[in-house]
Amino acid sequence: MKKNKIVVASGKGGVGKSMVSSVLANFFAKKNQIVAVDCDVDAPNLHLWFGENEKWDKVEKISTNEMPIINKKKCNLCGKCVDICAFDAMAINNQRLTINNFFCEGCAACEVVCPQKAVTMKRIKNAEVRIKNNVWGFPLISAQLYPGQTGSGKVVEEIKKRAENFDHQIMILDSPAGTGCPVIAALQGSNFALLVTEPTPSGLSDLRRVLQVVKYFKIPYGVVINKWDINQGLSERIEKEFKYKLFGKISYDKRIFKAIANLKPIIKTNLPVKKEIKEIFNKIKLINKNED
Amino acid sequence: MSKIKKIAITGGKGGTGKSTVSIMLANKLRNESKKIILVDCDVECPNDYLLLSQKLKKPVKKIYAQFPKLKKPKCQKCGLCVLKCRSNAVFQAPGKYPIFIHELCSGCGLCWHICPHGAIKIEKKLIGAVFENKINDNFWLITGQSVGVVDETGPIVTKLKDYAVNLAQKLRADYILFDTAVGLHCGVIRALIDVDLAYAVTEPTPLGAHDLKLILDLLKILKVQAEIVINQADLGKIELVNKISRQLKTKVVYKIPYSKNLVKAYSKGGLLKMNLLSR
Repeated sequence: MKKNKIVVASGKGGVGKSMVSSVLANFFAKKNQIVAVDCDVDAPNLHLWFGENEKWDKVEKISTNEMPIINKKKCNLCGKCVDICAFDAMAINNQRLTINNFFCEGCAACEVVCPQKAVTMKRIKNAEVRIKNNVWGFPLISAQLYPGQTGSGKVVEEIKKRAENFDHQIMILDSPAGTGCPVIAALQGSNFALLVTEPTPSGLSDLRRVLQVVKYFKIPYGVVINKWDINQGLSERIEKEFKYKLFGKISYDKRIFKAIANLKPIIKTNLPVKKEIKEIFNKIKLINKNED
Repeated sequence: MSKIKKIAITGGKGGTGKSTVSIMLANKLRNESKKIILVDCDVECPNDYLLLSQKLKKPVKKIYAQFPKLKKPKCQKCGLCVLKCRSNAVFQAPGKYPIFIHELCSGCGLCWHICPHGAIKIEKKLIGAVFENKINDNFWLITGQSVGVVDETGPIVTKLKDYAVNLAQKLRADYILFDTAVGLHCGVIRALIDVDLAYAVTEPTPLGAHDLKLILDLLKILKVQAEIVINQADLGKIELVNKISRQLKTKVVYKIPYSKNLVKAYSKGGLLKMNLLSR
């Protein structure tokens, strides 16, 4: 089997991405060498679905971003950096140049445009990478963007690179919610996207929005309806809209909430959700085989 | 004129009920005869209008950003733009012209300033839109939405907020509520900056508690006062959230019990009548 990157995404948050990712990873790990990557570097949760505590084999501070430093002696307050900054991070107030680090994206346009050479970009440690060989016997790569820092997309790119260093046949990537830079970074270069939704107006709307990104990168995809039975009418509409792209349905089950509240991995339960995700797993395996 | 109070509703984790709490808070304040503007700052996946059974019609404001476009006759294929781009949005095969990938580009402007041959011109492109829905006499919904595949959505949030604050002043509103996206990224930071109070909405699970700690850390860095709202408070393990509350000295102000009616109202777009916020 060739190397396959399977990404689980959704647009909307809290629809079950990490749960589905974790159980899929468990099923794949039975016969394949896998590596799991938690791309939600803002609020990483995948380890919790594996029943893992916060102890990592390796934690490493990394830098994927730069911030401008101003040499006040050289700066003559010409304002060129303020004009070029597309992120409103620079301002001149009371004869002083100020930088709003929360808005700065580290693009270095200010450094380039400064005629006095008063701006220098400096690397900053904005995140940490966390790696462990988890209780299920495969590596889990995660990261935490430090609160208040920017550049989550680049952190995702970095952990994907780290994950490549582990021998594997399958990489399971758990995408963050949304459609912006970290999601784009998670989806880029993937071979298959599993899109999780729920039968609510929000779930469907956000599915369509993340689908724009998936289609832009021409990634083959499948759709999963989680909690399909909370609104059967809307579920049917989603089924009709996605036809053969529908890879499975998961029933609403309060016991899932209880299981995660007690840090009990789904694979260790006998809940119906386990079988439902197994069916989704079988479908993905099939298309993987056909592509070989 | 009294100062307009700015409140953000956030939470770190997705699906904990940020939008639901935002609308219920608006409903509550409306019952107290306040004038409210609710701003949906989740510009990547806005949902508040769906929960209020509204449609996004004609935008009241369009948001543009600048992107690079190559002037081939002037380009010497030197590759400086490829080398300097922090977003890795410029590709160049050996001996070929560089290609700008707008979907990866932040629109920062570095490349057109650094090009020694003046071969890159600026192209304006639509990246977002602002919509206005008047729900009733005292309640407006302002929605921001990114258009197409946009890498850097933070600036859309800032422009959206500017629009909403202007409107609030014009209408002499009492409150502006900012419903943020999930996570802690730039779009969330931009929504949270300069607010008077933030409600962190969470659920009583290890996931909710884990992300609650992160968002409270962020609010502390941003110097924003925070309070906790626990959704589905009677399910799971509430002690997990209480522990974070004690650790970070942030009080729990609302506990919302699991409610079938609420789930139903959510999935049918009927949240305008719901209010389960009581202390």
